Amino acid sequence: MDPSEVEFLAEKEMVKIIPNFSLDKVYLIGGDLGPFNPGLPVDVPVWLALNLKQRQKCRIVPPAWMDVEKLEEMRDLERKEDMFTPVPSPYYMELTKLLLNYASDNIPKADEIRTLVKDIWDTRVAKLRLSADSFISQMEAHAKLDNLTLMEINTIRAFLLDSLNCMYKLRSNMQPGSSKGQLTDY
Amino acid sequence: MFIADIRKEFYEVVANQRVALLVAADIDALCACKILQALFHCDQVQYTLVPVTGWQDLGTAFLEHKEQFRYFVLINCGANVDLLEMLQPDDDSIFFICDTHRPVDVVNVYNDTQIKLLIKQDDDLGVPTYDDIFRDEDDEEGGDSGNESDEGSEPSGKRRRFDEGAVERRIERQRAKREWEARRREILFDYEQYEYHGTSAAMMFFELAWVLTKDTKDMLWWAVIGLTDQWYFKAYFSRTNHSCFFYVTDIATMQRHVSRHNHRNEDEENSLSIDCMRISFEYDLRLTLYQHWSLYESICNSCYTSCHFKLWTLNGQKKLQEFLADMGLPLKQVRQKFNSMDMSIKENLREVIEESSNKYGMKDIRIQTFGVHFGFKNRFLASDMVHATAALLESTEKDESDSDNFIKALDSLSRSNLDRLHSGIDQAKKKLIAVQQTVASCICTNLILSQGPFLYCYLMEGTPDVKLFSKPMALTLLCKYLLKAFVHSTRNKRCKLLPLIMAAPKDVEKGTVIVVGIPPESETSDKKNFFGRAFEKAAESTSSRTLHDHFDTSIIELKTEDRSKFLDALITLLS
Repeated sequence: MDPSEVEFLAEKEMVKIIPNFSLDKVYLIGGDLGPFNPGLPVDVPVWLALNLKQRQKCRIVPPAWMDVEKLEEMRDLERKEDMFTPVPSPYYMELTKLLLNYASDNIPKADEIRTLVKDIWDTRVAKLRLSADSFISQMEAHAKLDNLTLMEINTIRAFLLDSLNCMYKLRSNMQPGSSKGQLTDY
Repeated sequence: MFIADIRKEFYEVVANQRVALLVAADIDALCACKILQALFHCDQVQYTLVPVTGWQDLGTAFLEHKEQFRYFVLINCGANVDLLEMLQPDDDSIFFICDTHRPVDVVNVYNDTQIKLLIKQDDDLGVPTYDDIFRDEDDEEGGDSGNESDEGSEPSGKRRRFDEGAVERRIERQRAKREWEARRREILFDYEQYEYHGTSAAMMFFELAWVLTKDTKDMLWWAVIGLTDQWYFKAYFSRTNHSCFFYVTDIATMQRHVSRHNHRNEDEENSLSIDCMRISFEYDLRLTLYQHWSLYESICNSCYTSCHFKLWTLNGQKKLQEFLADMGLPLKQVRQKFNSMDMSIKENLREVIEESSNKYGMKDIRIQTFGVHFGFKNRFLASDMVHATAALLESTEKDESDSDNFIKALDSLSRSNLDRLHSGIDQAKKKLIAVQQTVASCICTNLILSQGPFLYCYLMEGTPDVKLFSKPMALTLLCKYLLKAFVHSTRNKRCKLLPLIMAAPKDVEKGTVIVVGIPPESETSDKKNFFGRAFEKAAESTSSRTLHDHFDTSIIELKTEDRSKFLDALITLLS
């Protein structure tokens, strides 16, 4: 999976906006949206929020978790725990990037938020790498990881699967008699 | 006709239509175009952008697009000529003209159906009243022609029908008509003899955005750049006041917008991300590009300082060294890139320079301008952007057509194309150095000749960098600097009040030169430019082969062989 595909999936999340135009309810295949009234908050998917923001038709309200104190707590918790802590949103990384790129003037203390989210991400990815490393070195059969987001899984998926495949091939070639020393060609 | 409510009569009319944007090639037009494009993107209006460099381009563009488009928006072109006569459009084509060229042609002002002028209607325009120039011929002539046709068809015997009264009345009417026509010619001549510029087009479109409450900081910045361009490259003129007056009022307007935007977002707890654009109002130095160059180079190559110090003389160089020593700036610091100068020097630089320059007779080394700041590295003054974009617009690289240059210059105005902007700044530096060197060589070799009613200078073909000066804006810049330098260096009091005409080779294969005329340097800055009409008349009287293609009538193209007779005609015309 491409990171851009993950970002595409992330754009389905809902976010609150305050429009400055009025429009009746819109009936889309994925669900209903609206009605839009100027000054009244309404929940829309992120893709629509960004489009409207670029056309200067709305103001984006940052999600509740996108707050400096809450993110600081989460970051500290993440650093303390060995396991993965629950995330603010299953797409926290993508949402941060999208919202801070296009709507940073609606989000207070945008730079600090960016730094905090990056810290949380770094800690979690480091834990993931450690865990993958121990999985491979101890040759476990299965592992259970809670609270991982799709983006994090995506970063390690390709590497982990390929390396496990390679190791399987090496192991199966090492066992005497099973394949009579035939090496499969790739 | 003038539009009163720009939102209802312009924007809401074109919002659901397909529009053709015909944009002239100058910075103010580029900025206005960017603002309008941003507005169109917000509302998903379909448009086609066509850059035009002259009247012929405008004509061809119109012919190409008149089948598909009904609405045309002309930016910085078309107001000073009878547009309907020139383009011969169909009756349902509507033209919205936002142009800074003045005087606005009277036909454009009084046409109610097809021409809509996006220009502020203030007293400064001085348009003659309708009755002074147009006359409903039907009523007057009806009686006459009735009589005359009667007279013509009937045999001479019927002439006895005319009594004295009718003949007298007819003679009266004819005399009144002749008087009226004479007065009309005089009024029109007065109105059209001087060419000048009005308020920036970019500001007009920014006000439209403001009225629609869709104004962003980007648009505000583009409006500021357009306004600064008016100051740098064009003659800013008011019939009744100083030219500086308009600049100051416009700056005040822009400053109000800037503080409104700044207050909207900033406050103590919720500070804005560093990547957001911050526009600030500065009282900054008049040294061109000094923040992207070294201070020394900037002082040497800025018109203001170079003319006051007379840097083309040895004495001037010495004075410059004295000046730097007076401020306590070590040469090593001053010659390195501005961003690498010591912080202790940079902190009070402006005040220190202002103090010292007062001693050397440069009272206006600081002017009020705007700067922008986004990200950690990027700081630009409005004048930097103007020079960079102008250099890109008139870049003389081979294999680049005018429209390519236009698109590149347009791109450089966006915040995301910083490398293009930086390359523009580099080209602007080269251009400025070339201008200074040419000015120095012209003054030192006395290339400026006084021809009586004006000064004249011709750049020979072998002059270094002469290719840069085959473009109108670059040549106008050179002209202005040269005139300033000349005024500072000459002792002849009469010559200081003369205007300057400059000619440079434009196209070697076709054998043409480009001729530019600028008004004299004066303290009151009454930049009335009468060369437009003068050039036309001189060309007619000598039947020289000229091309009056540029939107500014004071810039023409002329065949090299006709140069001398054209000049002679001008001399006789203007003396």
